[in-house]
Amino acid sequence: MKPRDILCDSGSFISLTTACLDQILPFLSGKFGVRFVIPPSVEYEMVTRPLRGGLKPYFFSAIKIKSAIRSGVIVTVQADVAGKTERILSRANNIFFAKGRPLQLIQSGEAEMLALAGELGVRDILIDERTARMLIEAPFSIRDHLAEEFGVNIMLDKKALSEFDAFTKGFVAMRSSELVMLAYENGFFDHFEDLKRDALEAALYKVKFSGCSLRFDEIAEYMRAVK
Amino acid sequence: MKTLKDLSFSVLDAFKGRNQKRLRKINDEIMKEAALNFTRPLYELAVLSYILAKIVSKPRFLGKELAQYLRRIEDDVRDLAQAAGTADEAAMLAMFEKASGSVAVLEKVDPRFMRDLVSKGKLKTAATMYAQGMSLGLASDMTGVSKQDILGYAGRTMMFDRVKEEMPVKERLRAARKALGGNE
Repeated sequence: MKPRDILCDSGSFISLTTACLDQILPFLSGKFGVRFVIPPSVEYEMVTRPLRGGLKPYFFSAIKIKSAIRSGVIVTVQADVAGKTERILSRANNIFFAKGRPLQLIQSGEAEMLALAGELGVRDILIDERTARMLIEAPFSIRDHLAEEFGVNIMLDKKALSEFDAFTKGFVAMRSSELVMLAYENGFFDHFEDLKRDALEAALYKVKFSGCSLRFDEIAEYMRAVK
Repeated sequence: MKTLKDLSFSVLDAFKGRNQKRLRKINDEIMKEAALNFTRPLYELAVLSYILAKIVSKPRFLGKELAQYLRRIEDDVRDLAQAAGTADEAAMLAMFEKASGSVAVLEKVDPRFMRDLVSKGKLKTAATMYAQGMSLGLASDMTGVSKQDILGYAGRTMMFDRVKEEMPVKERLRAARKALGGNE
């Protein structure tokens, strides 16, 4: 059976490794036969640059990701997506306008990830980064947010938005918090025995504090749904 | 829209008056301007205004014995405010670097923290850009602050709680279960 692929951004690995929850990746991979796919730029950012550049605060995270790559849980996939990346970047950064100027919202690494997903036919994306995720899921919410932040009217270019939508149509974005929940449902926290529900809640707070774009009320909602 | 020169002089005046509240307000203004029309000098001014607000808020920096260091910072800010609008970007950046150097000298007199004021200012500015709506990668590229640091900072703020998500948690979980090939 062909393994299912989930394309991942660097932010989700940062949240999971910082929260010491990266073992969820091999756990879910073993349970469901999924592969966590990354573009070379994410491997460079998460592994090569910290290790070669002597970035000591990030060594341990880099080693953990490197080990997951070695074991095949995380797979680096290369594809020529330069043209598509450029087109996605140009559309995304010309959707919203403030005072007549286009708002730069995403950069090439994020556009590359979306281009790669399209190229590989991968629809499931693990993304903790808020802006790119909300551009895919709820562009009008991000417009409202920008208007509130800058106190100006944010104009929307419908054509650019619909062209951006065409690139990301059918994508399903998930965050590391959803992986934590699924890991719980499948026994990852069972060794905590009667403390496993508390462990789950603590783990959700930990990924939030580590940078996963998750709200407190969502954690409460998660927990209400847990037996 | 205020120019870099106007904003720089506003920062100088507020710093000379040791007016933390005013510096904070100017910092907000510069941050908004930088997000809408990013330039490197504007970003550096955002960082500098944050740092100066921090300095003014700490009584330990405001004693007589450190007055000479504060005067040196004032001189640097005055130089860059006067040069703004005429000097090229490289020259402006060199002046911001000089001002940062003067802040570092002030801090060295009585070091308290692992992370210095300049790094703290850069991190705060990068995290604010992410909170305003720029992506994590863009905020990191523009400021040179690592994604890890930005996420670490952002995760300890309420920034994610301020934006309403469209998709309820239940629906997210259903989609995630499906992605893994399990039962919805």
